[in-house]
Amino acid sequence: MYTSMTNRRKFIKKMAMLSAMTAAAAMFPGILFADEQERGIPDGSNLDWKKAPCRFCGVGCGVLIGTENGKAVAVKGDPKSPVNKGLCCVKGYHSIIALYGKDRLTKPLIKKNGQYVETSMKEALDLIASKMKETIKEYGKDAVSIYGSGQWTIPDGYVASKLFKGCIGTNNVEANARLCMATAVTGFLTSFGLDEPMGCYEDIDYADTFVLWGNNMAEMHPVLFSRLLDQRLKKGVKIIDFATRTTRTSMAADRSILFKPQTDLAVANAICYEIVHNGWMNRSFVEEHCNFSKGLTDMGYGLEDGYKFTDKPEKINFEDYKTFLEDYTPEKASKISGVTVKDIKYLAAQFGDPNKKVMSLWCMGMNQHSRGTWMNNLVYNIHLLTGKISEPGNSPFSLTGQPSACGTVREVGTLTHKLPHGVVTNKEHREFAAKIWDVPVENIPSKPTYHTVEMFRALDRGDIRFMWIQVTNPMVSMPKLKRYRDGAKKEGRFIVVSDIYPTPTTDIADVILPSAMWIEREGMYGNSERRTQYFEQMLEPPGEAMSDTMQLIEVAKRMGYEKQFYYKEETHIEEVYNEYRKHHVGKKHNMAPLEVLKSQPGALWPYVDGKSTKWRFNSKYDPACSNGKDFHFYGKPDGKAIIWQRPYEPAAEEPDAEYPFWLGTGRVVEHWHTGSMTRRIPVLHKAMPHGYVELHPEDAKRMQIRNGDSVKLTTRRGEIILPASVDQRGIPAPMQVFVPFFDENMLINDITLDSFCPISKEPDYKKCAVKVEKV
Amino acid sequence: MKKRLGIILLFTLLFIGFIVNWGYSYKKGLEEAYIPIKKESSGPVIYSEKKVFERSQFALEYLNMPVDEAHQRSLNSYYDNRAYPGAPPSIPHFLLEGERGMGGKACLQCHQNGGFVEKFNAYAPVTPHPEMINCKQCHVAQNSSSNFRETTFYKSITASVGSNSALPGSPPMIPHQIQMRENCLSCHAGPAAPKEIRVTHPERVNCLQCHVADTRDFVEIQTFVRTKSLKK
Repeated sequence: MYTSMTNRRKFIKKMAMLSAMTAAAAMFPGILFADEQERGIPDGSNLDWKKAPCRFCGVGCGVLIGTENGKAVAVKGDPKSPVNKGLCCVKGYHSIIALYGKDRLTKPLIKKNGQYVETSMKEALDLIASKMKETIKEYGKDAVSIYGSGQWTIPDGYVASKLFKGCIGTNNVEANARLCMATAVTGFLTSFGLDEPMGCYEDIDYADTFVLWGNNMAEMHPVLFSRLLDQRLKKGVKIIDFATRTTRTSMAADRSILFKPQTDLAVANAICYEIVHNGWMNRSFVEEHCNFSKGLTDMGYGLEDGYKFTDKPEKINFEDYKTFLEDYTPEKASKISGVTVKDIKYLAAQFGDPNKKVMSLWCMGMNQHSRGTWMNNLVYNIHLLTGKISEPGNSPFSLTGQPSACGTVREVGTLTHKLPHGVVTNKEHREFAAKIWDVPVENIPSKPTYHTVEMFRALDRGDIRFMWIQVTNPMVSMPKLKRYRDGAKKEGRFIVVSDIYPTPTTDIADVILPSAMWIEREGMYGNSERRTQYFEQMLEPPGEAMSDTMQLIEVAKRMGYEKQFYYKEETHIEEVYNEYRKHHVGKKHNMAPLEVLKSQPGALWPYVDGKSTKWRFNSKYDPACSNGKDFHFYGKPDGKAIIWQRPYEPAAEEPDAEYPFWLGTGRVVEHWHTGSMTRRIPVLHKAMPHGYVELHPEDAKRMQIRNGDSVKLTTRRGEIILPASVDQRGIPAPMQVFVPFFDENMLINDITLDSFCPISKEPDYKKCAVKVEKV
Repeated sequence: MKKRLGIILLFTLLFIGFIVNWGYSYKKGLEEAYIPIKKESSGPVIYSEKKVFERSQFALEYLNMPVDEAHQRSLNSYYDNRAYPGAPPSIPHFLLEGERGMGGKACLQCHQNGGFVEKFNAYAPVTPHPEMINCKQCHVAQNSSSNFRETTFYKSITASVGSNSALPGSPPMIPHQIQMRENCLSCHAGPAAPKEIRVTHPERVNCLQCHVADTRDFVEIQTFVRTKSLKK
């Protein structure tokens, strides 16, 4: 049959269009497009889609990255991922644009006479290795340190720990998760003896009531919050926002309850009082599975250099605990917290109702808290007293903010006191690690050295002379920043910074290494629900950029640890991960094999007999339970969780006549942490171009401050000028101000306070006293 | 005698009862009318954020609504009705309640929740601000099709569909101001929503999670620049 060229061309065109339509339908599963809505949208038919966990927060959404001609060009939610079920937030959808900022670092830079000079990777790595050796020789092992992050992939953190703790022999390994998750860790360890949530995100599908403890989920964990909203539409669940500031979450919630900063301690105790006194306690659960303890009080705030604190737990009985609660009747707690008695009783009734499944969710409000560990304990108390724990829908759930805060910092253990399995103070744990690392056990020091704040203090004092900073931006995120910036700039300090863009942290560097970001390399992240997710290398890193894992391996080899760092370049991620898995062998923490991670959107540990464990400590779901009862809190020697007696204590610095306002800091939906990536994404920058200070409308009116006016904030640490935000994104309570910390041109952390929780050593960014003036 | 006394007593009691009752009602009638004010919530309200979630209780119904193709509005007719993007639309139909019709009794009957109006053979668009009831303060009728004099007013170009995404398939930015229109669902969902901008996923009620504004304050926003740069 004869067909003319024109006809054939038409035919091919038609076919192409048809395939484009199917491709578009495949791109957006579950979404049907009207023709009108498709117009102008590129079809994406020739895209190659590959799965990865999102680069940004700790929710760990599964995303699919569309690549074309070696460039990432599109993102969609992975419908197969049980985390986000195909949905992302605005950051996730635009995440790949962060790969292509014009000022991407592509070559190593070495500071010579105050100027940065381009050099080769080989020369830069040689210099780092020789500088480290030199520093160790001159000042000792504990003068070198590494400061990483919850954005480290699992292999990054693992090789860092192996190099510093196993080979060099110093516990100077810390990560920025100390600034955000350390309190969650100590909360879990003190109450249960094992880190990380017992439940998982699936709890959201079973719960009837959600209590958000100081957690602006609508902006900070939007995809999970959407799952809450979905449940409300489907079955009318209740969302209760318990916070110090009115936010988007308060507006979406069924009930918004405001409390004065730091007084959540009193309210949580009052809830326990109500539970105990109204007969809402699950007696059989408490008798069978809980012990009561108290610890030291009046611990201080860690404001002075070299501050040390070790808690001394002491067993008490139920009657002692009941007597202690007498100080926290709803009436007394109401006086402290400003929450009405009615609201306290309402909250308590949510937990007390035996027919309601309750999920508590929290993040920085409770963790960045000078009594954060206590606050974590108190929320566990509520769930333990009512037995609402470790079963579908009954779940105290600690959220995280970084893609691998759990996976790398908490599980690999890149903190000064930690090993991949266990702690440095335990001889058996050291021996176990040394064996896998193939190093003499004497290499691993038995004493922890510096936690993050103290590490930067040591750098300032000169106890630390060399610091390698990877994937984090402490010169924006450290509290009382000015001291630590000045300290880092002192003579005789050598700072290496591995990053993808110039930041205030690269400004203090002696060597800047360009890193490969996210899908420009291979790796794994671990999210808040114990889910480990793998991503393959999809793109070539720009210029000489190299993964953080490879940077560390190369330096380790140059320092003479070829035997321990035997990994081949092509297969090093696989080799590192398989070695790392050895640390966690056993029913309590087994990690899924790499093939499994490659084939599905992640797996939850403990991964036992080819299955993820969704609810730990519950014998129905957790094969590690061995006491023959319904629940087994096997993290503690006697298999019982601890209900802690923890009182209310004021914050380190409270408002007074001279500094009459509270200052709290936090985040916004558009920007991720210090903004070094999201501010280079035009969509996000346009939506939120700069920092601001939020005031209560009445305070603003009294001081004649209008939206956009310049406002000076002064604390005992310094001053800063910011544009006012009145009646915009959020409304702080009267006599409180709120400032987001993403803007490196308006460094709010210059004036924040470096007080921290004495148990977790995590700074309290939410509370200090400030003076507010119109300028 | 006893009987008579009984009858008198009965009437006396009835009379006293009447007086007391009448007195009580008369006194009540003199009191000021009082409507107890319900306190809504303990905290303050962020108007712009709160409005986003309004109508979200209907989200699942929106999702299941069949599309009535014969009576759809288009973006063109949507903008035809406005003097410029963001201007209050004028009223394209005769006024059912006449010129003196006001808010709740007139316009809101159809425009609060929408629905098919036989008389106009169309679905009533839903107002994003039903709490404002002096409708004709901003929305006026079109009583003539001619002009008094021609104008040189330039009607600026409206944002087109499909051009507000940064990447293929990424959620479009909000290309318009949202003051008075903070409630996304009222214009972007339901049978009266212009077909080009009807949301495919009305059940995702936290709209600003993915869609962010790009005309904030009408200010020209510069690319993010570091104030310091690396000295090379």
